[in-house]
Amino acid sequence: MDALIIVALVLPLLLALLVLWPPSRPLAEGLAPLAPLPALLLALAAKNGLALDLPWLLLGSRFMLDETGRLFLGFTAMVWLFSGWYARGYLADDPRRHVFWSFYLATAAGNLGLCLAGDAASFYLLFALMTFAAYGLVIHSGSAEACRAGRVYLVMAVLGESALMVGMLLVVHAASSHYLSDFAAVTPSAAAITLLLLGFGIKVGIPLLHMWLPLAHPVAPVPASAVLSGVMLKAGLLGWLRFLPLGGAALPEAGTLLLSAGLLAIFLGVAAGLCQREPKVLLAYSSISQMGFMTLGVGAGLQEPQLWPVLLPAVGLYALHHALAKSALFLGVGVIQASQARRLVLAGMALPAMALSGAPLTSGLSAKIALKNGLAGLPAPWAGLLPALLPLAALGTALLMARLLFLLARLPPHGGSGLVAPWWMLVALGVLLPWMQPSAAAGIAVWANAGWPILLAAVITALVAHRGMAAPALPPGDILLGLERGLQYLHRLMQR
Amino acid sequence: MTLNEFLPLAVLASSLLPGLIIFALPENRVGVRTTLNLLAALAKLALVGILLFGVQAGEEFGFAYAVLPGLDLTFKADALGLLFITLSAVLWLFTTFYAIGYLEKAPHRSRFFGFFSLCVTATMGIAMAGNMFTFFVFYELLTLVTFPLVVHRGTAQAMRGGMIYLAYTLVGGALLLGGIVWLHSLLGHTGFTHGGVLATLDSSTHWQLQAIFLLLISGVGVKAALVPLHGWLPQAMVAPAPVSALLHAVAVVKAGAFGIVRIVYGIYGIEFAQSLDLLTPLAVAAAITIVWGSFRALFQDDLKKRLAYSTISQVSYITLGISLFGPIGTIGGLVHLVHQGVMKITLFFCAGNYAETLGMHKVSEMAGVGKRMPWTTVAFSLAAFGMIGIPPLAGFISKWYLGLGALEARMPWVLAVLAASSLLNAAYFLPILYRAWFMPQAAAWPEEHILMQGNRETARLLLWPPLATAALTLALGLFAASSLSPLEWVKLIADREYLTWTP
Repeated sequence: MDALIIVALVLPLLLALLVLWPPSRPLAEGLAPLAPLPALLLALAAKNGLALDLPWLLLGSRFMLDETGRLFLGFTAMVWLFSGWYARGYLADDPRRHVFWSFYLATAAGNLGLCLAGDAASFYLLFALMTFAAYGLVIHSGSAEACRAGRVYLVMAVLGESALMVGMLLVVHAASSHYLSDFAAVTPSAAAITLLLLGFGIKVGIPLLHMWLPLAHPVAPVPASAVLSGVMLKAGLLGWLRFLPLGGAALPEAGTLLLSAGLLAIFLGVAAGLCQREPKVLLAYSSISQMGFMTLGVGAGLQEPQLWPVLLPAVGLYALHHALAKSALFLGVGVIQASQARRLVLAGMALPAMALSGAPLTSGLSAKIALKNGLAGLPAPWAGLLPALLPLAALGTALLMARLLFLLARLPPHGGSGLVAPWWMLVALGVLLPWMQPSAAAGIAVWANAGWPILLAAVITALVAHRGMAAPALPPGDILLGLERGLQYLHRLMQR
Repeated sequence: MTLNEFLPLAVLASSLLPGLIIFALPENRVGVRTTLNLLAALAKLALVGILLFGVQAGEEFGFAYAVLPGLDLTFKADALGLLFITLSAVLWLFTTFYAIGYLEKAPHRSRFFGFFSLCVTATMGIAMAGNMFTFFVFYELLTLVTFPLVVHRGTAQAMRGGMIYLAYTLVGGALLLGGIVWLHSLLGHTGFTHGGVLATLDSSTHWQLQAIFLLLISGVGVKAALVPLHGWLPQAMVAPAPVSALLHAVAVVKAGAFGIVRIVYGIYGIEFAQSLDLLTPLAVAAAITIVWGSFRALFQDDLKKRLAYSTISQVSYITLGISLFGPIGTIGGLVHLVHQGVMKITLFFCAGNYAETLGMHKVSEMAGVGKRMPWTTVAFSLAAFGMIGIPPLAGFISKWYLGLGALEARMPWVLAVLAASSLLNAAYFLPILYRAWFMPQAAAWPEEHILMQGNRETARLLLWPPLATAALTLALGLFAASSLSPLEWVKLIADREYLTWTP
């Protein structure tokens, strides 16, 4: 199994290099989609508690597999696998596809590896690898739009990395150890918590730190969007799980901050998403909104540590559910454009869309109920606030998904082949997910509770469509425009 | 004379003698000169290898010669000195290769390589100096033998840069001498000892010791380019690329930083320096230098000038680490002595390659160069990422230890300085990388001297040295925890410097 860990870490990196060398390029491009396979095997087959110490590497590295890591590694590997398969077809005619593959594989190496990292330095290394390699995915098209998105992405990434470096040093100093397993026992300083919340928060896309996301996710080629939005956001979530003292000391201020940020993200994501014309931008905003649910879970865990044993599996399930559903939706955008049988694909797209809305019998409902059960233990004012707001959030998500299907139906056609099979596989996995484990998400009352927001959303959508009303247009990146104008103004002021 | 006395002298002689012979060689004896240069560099490396094994095993290498009664030239190859010696010997080898390629068919090569060897001799002397007097002798020798290298091209701009360099360093030397004389009058000797030699002095002399510290640090601070004593460094970048590489990575700037190390650890002793309240002002000076250097680098369009300001900032990481009281800070500072050298020499090699191959001197001319010179640009990128502090490169390891050291020394504000420096480093390096890799070539190259030959982007001897040092940048970070890394060696030094320290 130790060898498998090393193969899982090294294979994507090795292929990322081989794909750049012309003689080995055809072979490496052929193998590229399979690069996440060892990681997937590891997630499925290895025992918990697996640990591999490499005392000569970096600052003395450790790689490990625990319950949380296995879950994240599993869905991360799955989404990378199917997106890679999809990318083969999607990029078949792209003359610069070897460049894409190289960045894609390097990003995968970071994203898969960080699920296995057992010490702060290795985690930071793999997180940075993922973040910086993904820049190549964002700007792959080379358009002016992509370059602007890339610039914003890079600025935010560098800010995030700096915050994380300092936050990690503070935690490591407090714990007198750089092993992740020693962090749960210490209570880091307020500065450390803040820096970690913000540093990983940039990746998660919490409000005010989210503006890079609706710019960067849509401009990347479709398979890259799928991994960016489907799994790389969860790397930030995993960072929180790894570095924050969850289940240890209570941190009421940080908890309140995250709970508020989560709620805000849920509603702002929906509101801004509804104002979009471009399906991929809408999906990016939907990701901001959905990550808000997981942020709620982490915030609740910081505030009430005794709830963490219930919240952790709920957050994990939510991450798994969103990873599969969101990547299926992103991949579907390309499938619809390339397909002759649009209605069939639209029907397929309705499945993950329903799951995100939390419809009965979907993974979304299981995840939402698990999360709700965890959040139920929160004190006032959250005890009153959340039960009132969460159904509204479900309504909002359902509206957003209806809007998505509406926009998808009107997309102009675009070439591409070999996209359908990986997309269907992901959709099917998402559908099967709730049947793989016993769940409390069954019964008429539960379904009725979950069903009404969706029905209501359907009615509202029908009405709006009938009246021909249009949502106001909002440029992707929303507050960024204000920020950029402000900076330009400052710049002019300084030049005077 | 025993072997243990002979070896330090042999290390000096292995560059002094070839240097003197090269001066005497006629200009056209290229083969002899090249062979001599390379044999000398390899011989030195072998000698250093023996010393490393010896010191690790607890052997002591030293040699003393009384110039006057009470005034000795002493050489001692201890663990700290060997750190600097090894760095210099390794990078000298790479730079020799590079300089041979760089100066192919250029005039005055005998003069160049002669002074080049003397420059390394002076560096070795500084590293092995056993007291302040010996240190001073070689420190001034370094000034004198680097001057002809800085002005090697002989242009008006080069002469001007050289004069500024000379003015700064001679004034610095005078300050240093003043401090040494004062110290000698108090102490009767100026020998370096683990844990310092001043703690036993009467407490009534403490104000004098503080004043001496200021004099000594100002003296070596000129070469270490501490703000506001840094003005010469951006001017001295008129030197040929191999000289800049050596100046910024091993010889001059590093000699200044190493002087600070010796003064704090060998003369004052880290614990005594802390009790005299000398470390916090030093840390503040280093912090100002770090931020100011990075800030000024942002606005330089000339690539070498940008790198020069970057050096000002990065070398002060070493000073910062020394001024953080506690072994972890010491480790961070000392390991950066090596890491900064390897990364910066890579960057200057690459800058030289761009200039020699395509006539490219400015950042604004670099659009699309990644396609024309991919290997050089790969090396440049690795070193630049290392400077920013991105893992798994060498700079990350330095930053990690400096950060932890700051927390150990209860100076959390240093973390803000490190973060700000990382951001500024990113702000002046990433746009270069973006231009080089992602922007299409905008205009014809300014002056293409070396054409593509098959797949080879430039001359072999220009290409291999930066690739080797870039690989070293990666290895120093990736394998930092292995037993052969400089990090492990530095931990050994830190163990010996802290006599009574408990966490």
